[in-house]
Amino acid sequence: MNQRPNTSSTCGSPEHAVHRRLFLQGSMAAGAASVASFNGLFSIPAAAEQAKRQGKKCILLWLCGAPSQFETWDPKPGTSTSGPFRAIPTNLPGIHISQLMPRCATIMDKLAVIRSMKTEPSEHFQGIDVLTRGDKPRPPFTRPILGSVIAQQLGDLDSPVPQFVLLDPCPEGNEFKAFKSGNWAGWLGAEYGPVRAGGKYSIPNLGRLDSISELDHQDRETLRAFLSRKYENDRRSEAASSHNAAFQRVAGLMSCAPLFDLDQLPPADRERYGPGAFAQHALQARHLIENGSTFVMVANGMPWDNHVFQHEMHQMLVPELDNVLFQLITDLEDRGLLEDTLVIAMGEFGRTPWLNEARGRDHYPNAWSMAMSGAGIRGGVVHGATDKLGRNVVEGHTDNRQLFATIFRALGIEPDQEYDLPGLPTFRRVEEDAQAVEEVLL
Amino acid sequence: MSEATKTLTLKKTQDWKLPTSVLDAALADDENAMIAGCMDGVYRLQFEPHQEELLYQHESYVSSVGLLKENQIVSAGYDGGLRWFDVEQRKLLRTTRAHDFWSWDMSVSADRSRIASVTGQYLAGSYKYEPQSEKEPSLKVFAADSGDLLHQLPHIPSTQAVAISPDNRFVAAGNLMGEVRVFDLDNGQMAANWTTPDFTSWGIIKSHCYLGGIFDLQFTPDSQSLLLCGMGPMRDPMAGNGRQLWQRWDWKKETPTLLDQTHQGQSGEGLMETLAIHPRSEHFAMGGRLRGGDWNLALFDLDSGDRIASAKTGFRITRVQYTADGKSLFVAGTQGQPKPKKDDSPLPPFGRVERYEIG
Repeated sequence: MNQRPNTSSTCGSPEHAVHRRLFLQGSMAAGAASVASFNGLFSIPAAAEQAKRQGKKCILLWLCGAPSQFETWDPKPGTSTSGPFRAIPTNLPGIHISQLMPRCATIMDKLAVIRSMKTEPSEHFQGIDVLTRGDKPRPPFTRPILGSVIAQQLGDLDSPVPQFVLLDPCPEGNEFKAFKSGNWAGWLGAEYGPVRAGGKYSIPNLGRLDSISELDHQDRETLRAFLSRKYENDRRSEAASSHNAAFQRVAGLMSCAPLFDLDQLPPADRERYGPGAFAQHALQARHLIENGSTFVMVANGMPWDNHVFQHEMHQMLVPELDNVLFQLITDLEDRGLLEDTLVIAMGEFGRTPWLNEARGRDHYPNAWSMAMSGAGIRGGVVHGATDKLGRNVVEGHTDNRQLFATIFRALGIEPDQEYDLPGLPTFRRVEEDAQAVEEVLL
Repeated sequence: MSEATKTLTLKKTQDWKLPTSVLDAALADDENAMIAGCMDGVYRLQFEPHQEELLYQHESYVSSVGLLKENQIVSAGYDGGLRWFDVEQRKLLRTTRAHDFWSWDMSVSADRSRIASVTGQYLAGSYKYEPQSEKEPSLKVFAADSGDLLHQLPHIPSTQAVAISPDNRFVAAGNLMGEVRVFDLDNGQMAANWTTPDFTSWGIIKSHCYLGGIFDLQFTPDSQSLLLCGMGPMRDPMAGNGRQLWQRWDWKKETPTLLDQTHQGQSGEGLMETLAIHPRSEHFAMGGRLRGGDWNLALFDLDSGDRIASAKTGFRITRVQYTADGKSLFVAGTQGQPKPKKDDSPLPPFGRVERYEIG
């Protein structure tokens, strides 16, 4: 075992509830972060340079609702399942993707696409659970979400910058809403849960009051910390410990507020990424990664669930994704960060080869696609294949465990490692000895 | 419903199937055949004796078809093209690249001299996903005989429905955001412009973006008012459960005015995609998809707006059209696509055409 000490007990404790309220539901708004005294804190190149040295990081473009593989990575031109869009050639000889992705077609040599995802859940909640945690639930134990594992393994808990950030401006989201209100960090403990930001999510009154000087502010915090630590020692209280952690996290958030302010980002960058919320938050993810975050998950509700208006929606969503991926990967490469930053774009399953009566495609876990680029990933690889109509995987079957083994390996994390969970059954990061997809790994 | 409004019946008398979804259709002049724009091409469906023939294809789905003079037809497609075809000679006459993006809808003027087609890709234009401004003219008008481009007219994408007034003087187009623009066909000047918010959803629950909009519009026979159809706003547009909605607007007033809309208690849920007005202006028909309720095809009194007949077809309706005598109604559409077989051998047919007697 070579893991960091597990500072938290099992999931579901009152302490965790304190964290969840503060860190999962509570969050920061782009707008609320306009705290003038903190502006420019991370504008010095040395800070970014420090972040660059910290090791591997990950951006998950969470395409919640489940995009269609036919209108993205695995088009089937000239067949009954193709839909109305054409396929276009890419810079990989013989490889075609949807005409809705012309920019990605020019950087396929930097991408690894898995066209042979085959998973079990066909409903959103279960699909989200499996594709963000890596495995099916085993109640009452809660497996930590990918971002929590990566934050724990690769993050710098002493950093004032949140290590795991969820950028999602949509307060609703049906099954994703239900999922968001659950326990993300699982048995790792709430300190590895996400800070949520984006859109209207905010921690009100984040800035120090004008009536309190910086010195007063520090004095008050010193006194609070002393009393709290004394209480914690006298009573052996885990709740007090969590409370202290919460205060420390809030103090960190206060110091890095500008990172969450979209208006602080260069206008030219904002224009390149595109004006939509998903695109803007993808840019913000890059900014957070550049400045010390370890895992940033970008979502926008679950817009990909196109049971109706499949083509009418994908004709808007896919071009935005296409541009976001292109800009993100190109930017990270230009900044020398791609080698250490894994970019993942996926949803919880794919969509049916056939169209329903409402001009939509329904849920389809039997054969779907996802893409990765950057840290540890070999670009220019298309792994696996589906049959002529996209009904089934015919080559390179990859399930959620194999995918997670691949992601962990790409980031230098041992997939087979056991968690250190005294009193709990044995859990591994990836169960059943699932093997990574070697073809897509460097 | 007012006491004076007479109720009618819709009785299915014939039905036919086509291999793929019928996305638009036009009844031949002899009323013994239908030209059907389908996912896989343009078909001629002859009723008696029954015969179906794939005439030609686009590079993608066919979105609209229309009849022209001298046995010609014109079609528009998701490939952005317009195609002219001589039915008698079975010969493709002309292909025009009308749009970079797909043609959402195409309409032929009553005198068959003009063709109007609308396009526009909905792309994110703001943090809230208001649509970007157009990258190409959203509305184009062509001469039906020569294919010459007569007008390129502006709108906001996606522009999804178009109609030419019966007097051939105006063209109207409606978009995703419920904005209607009416242009004078003589000079291309905008004659009216207004927005109805009642057809558009901003996804609160799942999708922070816009969905819906106007899916069909028709001038009334006197060209004085416009009927629009679509689906009422939803918190979750992915549910497709908005109110089955039509609206009638007096577009010639200085400020266009809403005259009437689907009456309370007379609608179910589902996207309404097609309108047709009775040849003697007695009523109008509206059809679409049934998501909730008990009808997806209905007749409405043109004066009172009351629903006077309804039916449940069991498939999504994409086009309704009266026969010339106004005694029958042809309905075209589609069921869900069957699961494909392993070898891509032909699927069971899922395009639908039905005839209803109005009693």
